Amino acid sequence: MTLRQSLQATAALCAPATLGFIAAVSVAAGARAQTTPSGQDFVNAAGDTANWILPHKSYTGNNYTAAAQITPANVRNLRLAWKGNIEDTGPMEVSPIVYNGTMYITTAHDHVFALDAATGKPKWGFTDNPHVISFAANRGIALFDGNVYFGTLDGHIIALNAKTGQKVWDKLAVDDTANSFYTMAPVPYHDPQTNQDMIFMGVSDGDWGGNGNMTAYNPQNGAVIWRWDTVPGPGQPGHDTWSGDSWKRGGAAAWTGVTIDTATHTMYLDLGNPSPDFLGTVRKGANLYTDSMVALDISGAKPKLKWYHQFIPHDTHDWDPPMQPVLFTGQVNGQSRKLVAAGDKGGNFWILDAETGKLVDHTAVSFQKGQDTAPTLEGNIACPNTLGGVEYQGGAFDPATNNFYLSSQNECGFWKATKDAVYIAGEFYIGGSFPKLVGPDTGQVNAIDVSNGVFSWRHHFNLPNYGGALVTASGLVFSGNLGGNENAFDAKTGTILWSYDTGGYIQAPTEAYEVNGKEYIVVASGEAGNAKIPELPTDPPRPNSINVFTLP
Amino acid sequence: MLLGPPSGIASPAAAAGDDHQQAVATLTDVKAAIGELVRVDASYATGPKAYHAAAQRAINALAGARGEDYVANAGTPGDPAGAIGHIDSLLDRAATPVWISSLRSAEANVRAAIIHLKDATKADELMDYAVAASRALTYLEVARGRPNETGVFGGLEGALANTELGIPADAQQQDACRAPSAAPSYGTHGGYIAWVALPAGNGTHDLAEPSGSTSLSVQNGMIVLRTAAARLVADACGAHAKADPADPPPPQAAASQVAASQVAASRVAATYAMQARSAASGASPPALYTEPQAEQGKQVFATQCVACHGANLQGTAAPSVAGNDFLVTAQHNGWTLEIMRYIVFDQMPRNSPASLSPQDDAAVMAFLLASNCYPAGNKPFPSADQTAFASIKLGPVPGQHPGRNAKGVCDVR
Repeated sequence: MTLRQSLQATAALCAPATLGFIAAVSVAAGARAQTTPSGQDFVNAAGDTANWILPHKSYTGNNYTAAAQITPANVRNLRLAWKGNIEDTGPMEVSPIVYNGTMYITTAHDHVFALDAATGKPKWGFTDNPHVISFAANRGIALFDGNVYFGTLDGHIIALNAKTGQKVWDKLAVDDTANSFYTMAPVPYHDPQTNQDMIFMGVSDGDWGGNGNMTAYNPQNGAVIWRWDTVPGPGQPGHDTWSGDSWKRGGAAAWTGVTIDTATHTMYLDLGNPSPDFLGTVRKGANLYTDSMVALDISGAKPKLKWYHQFIPHDTHDWDPPMQPVLFTGQVNGQSRKLVAAGDKGGNFWILDAETGKLVDHTAVSFQKGQDTAPTLEGNIACPNTLGGVEYQGGAFDPATNNFYLSSQNECGFWKATKDAVYIAGEFYIGGSFPKLVGPDTGQVNAIDVSNGVFSWRHHFNLPNYGGALVTASGLVFSGNLGGNENAFDAKTGTILWSYDTGGYIQAPTEAYEVNGKEYIVVASGEAGNAKIPELPTDPPRPNSINVFTLP
Repeated sequence: MLLGPPSGIASPAAAAGDDHQQAVATLTDVKAAIGELVRVDASYATGPKAYHAAAQRAINALAGARGEDYVANAGTPGDPAGAIGHIDSLLDRAATPVWISSLRSAEANVRAAIIHLKDATKADELMDYAVAASRALTYLEVARGRPNETGVFGGLEGALANTELGIPADAQQQDACRAPSAAPSYGTHGGYIAWVALPAGNGTHDLAEPSGSTSLSVQNGMIVLRTAAARLVADACGAHAKADPADPPPPQAAASQVAASQVAASRVAATYAMQARSAASGASPPALYTEPQAEQGKQVFATQCVACHGANLQGTAAPSVAGNDFLVTAQHNGWTLEIMRYIVFDQMPRNSPASLSPQDDAAVMAFLLASNCYPAGNKPFPSADQTAFASIKLGPVPGQHPGRNAKGVCDVR
C-alpha cells in the first residue's frame, strides 16, 4: 500500500507529479512545537483557526470555523492546492486531524498517514489490514500524548508515535471479536479533576448482536478506566423496557462520536438502533437507550446518567441518530438557550434543551412514509431507507444567522422482516433483510432557523448529499455531494457560490485549517461503498483521494 | 469408595494402588485450581487483589511447594506436592503404562496453564485478567480431560476412567475378555479398564471415579458399565482369540496388542481433530458443485458482487468471501454451509437481498466454494436447502491446491 501524491502548483492545467511513498520520514525538525495537542488545547479547539484537532472541530461537535479568509466574495477563486491519491479500497469517511501543519488521515482498511498539510507530502504511513467483519470504514484518529490513536475493524486500538508512525502499543479492546469493531475516531480528553488523560472510544456492534458501550482508555497502555454500557442490565433503570432476554443482544452501539461540555463535565452521546433491527416482536418495549441521546455526568470515577431523550422508541427500521450531538447556544423565542441538536436516519432533526433533554423543536428533513408500520414478512415500504435521513457527517450552527446547517437524504426502501432472528456469530443480527431501494435517491443541504425549526433555505440535489456541513465565520457553508462535487453555499441564502468535481463520490465531512497563516479546505472522496445507489455510474471506478483547496 | 478392598481376593497389582492415589491427587489439584478461578469469578470482586490472589493460589495448587512459581504467602487450595509433583512421581518409572500419554498431555497442559496464570497475576484490569484466566482455564479443562476419551484427549479423567490408574488399591480385577463373575470388580486387559461391575442389589453404589460409560447393562444380577476403552479391549480380546483360541494370551502380548489398537485409535482421534480444525470432512472435503457451475457463478459474481467484495474476493467495502481470512473467520465463528447458503441466498446482495434467481445464487455458491478450494464433483450445488448443510462446517481445506494464491484463494477459470 502506498500513498501517491500529486502536487498541483496551479489549478488550471498541470500534470500531477507522482512521487513514491517513503515510509517513516521523520518530521523536519527545527520547530520546537509540540507534536500533539495538550488537554487544554482540546478545550480551546473551537477558537483555534489553524488546527483541526477533534473530529468535529471542538468538543461541542459544531463544525464551525472562525477562519475567515475564504469569503462569499472570493470563494469563486478557490482552487485545488493538492490532491493525495490513496491506494486503499473502500469508502473514504475520514475526518482529517490537522495539527501544526501535519494532517493525519485514515482509509477504509485502517491505513494511517501523516501528510504535510500544506503540500500533501507524506511524512509516514502505517498499514493495518485487519479482518473485516462487515464493512470497511475508518473515520479518523485522535492525536494526544505524543501518539496517534485509532480503532480497527477487528476491534483493536492502536497507538502510533505521532512523529514516526512506529507502533507504540496495540490492544484488543472489544469483548467479542466476532461481532464488535471500531469505525469512529477516538476522542482525547484530559480529566481536569483527576489529571487523568483518557481516550474515549465507542464500539460498533449494534447490527451484529452486540451491545454498545462507551469506554475511557488510558492513552499510556490502553487500560480501561471506565466503561458505560448503553443497554441497562438487570436491576438498572430502563431494563424493563426490554422483554425477556432481548436486552442481551439489544444493540445501542455508540459509534457516532463524543460531545463534551467541559464546563459542566457532561458527555453527550447519540446511541444506535435496537437489534434485531427489523423484528420488534422479539424485543417488546421502548428498548432504552437505543435511538436516544444521553447526557452523562463524567465528573466522577464512573459516568452517571443525567438524562436521556429517546427519539424513536422501539425502532424497527434502523433509524438511529448517527450524527454526533452538536452543543450550541441559539436564540429561541428571543432568548439565548443552551441547546443540543442531532439528526437521525429516520429523517428527523431534533433540538433539545442541553440541561434537561426536553424537546425544543423537531423538523422533518427527509421524505417520510410508512414510519408507524413495522416491516412485515411480505414486505412493505418505508422512507427513509437505512442510509437515508441524516448520516454521521455532522452539522453546524452559525450564531450569525441562528441557522443550523445539515444535510439529509431522501431514499425509500422495501423492507422485509423474518419470522425469527437467529444470532449467527459474525453476521448481521437484523431479523430481516436490508431494504431494497425504491424510487429516486436524492438529498439536500438544509438551513434550519433554530428559533422556530422552519427552513431558512434548502438546496435540493438529484443525488444524496452525505457531506454534512461546515460553516465559516465569513458566511460560507461547505458540503460535499455524493456525485463528487464539493460545494460552497452562501450561508444566508443557500446560493451555490463555488463547486469542484473531486472525481470521487463524497461521503466525508469538510474541514478548514491554516498553515503559515493560509486557509485550506479539505474533503476526502472516492468509492461509494455502502452508499452505492442505482443512479451512480459504475464506470470508471472512482479513485480514493484527499482534496485540499486554497485561494491563489 | 464402594469399590474398595473386596474380602478374600488378593489383588494382582498391589502397586497400582499408589499410582491411583497419585492420579486422584493430581486431578484433585487441577480441580482445586479450576475451582479457585471459578470462585473468584463468581465473587464479582471489583478490586484487582482478589483476582491476583486467586491466580496465584491456582498456580500453587498446580506447581506445588517445590515449583518455582509457588508463592507461599498466597496459600494453596491444593496439596504440597501440587499437580506437577504428583504427575512427576507417576512418570518417574522405567515402564511405559498405557496411561503415559494421558499424563504427559496433562502435564503439558498444566504447565501451559501456569504460564497464563502468571500473566493473570500481573493483569492491571479485569479484562486482562479475564483473557489470561480464560486461556489458563482452557488448558486446565484439557488437563482434567474427559472420562469418555482414551489417550491424550482423555486427560486425567480419561486415564482414571479407562486405565488401571483408576483402580483403587486392593480392588478386585477380572479378565475383561470374559463376562464379570463377581461384583464389585473391574474388568481389565492390557492395562485398560473395559468395564466396571456393580452389585445390582438395593442401595447406593458410588464409583471411585466417573466411568465415562456410554452403556449400562444388567448381567447375572450385576450392573455392568462399559468404559470408552471397552471397544479397544474387545478388539484386543478378539485378536487374541484368533491367534490362540485355546488359551488366553500372556499379559505382555495382550499389552502390545492393545497398544497397537491404541496407536490406531490415536490416529483416528487425530484425524477427527484435524477435521474439527480444518474443514468439512478432513482430508476429503465434500464435493458440492460442478466446475461448469462455478464458472457460471464467476460471471454472476463479476456483475453482482464484485463491487463490494472485490475481484480478488478480499473485499473492498465488504468482507472477504474466500481464502485464509474468510475461512479462518468462518471457522472461528462456527459457520456451516447452511449459514453460508443463508447469507448468499437470503441476505445478498446487501442493497437488494434475495434478488438473484435461485440458480444464480447456487452458481455463486459454487464459485465461492471453488474459490475456497473445495473440490468439484459431478452434482451441481442445489437451489433448494438441504438439511445436511447444517452439519458441514466451513474452514481451511487441507491438502495441496495448485491454483491457490498467497491469500489462500483457489483460481476458478
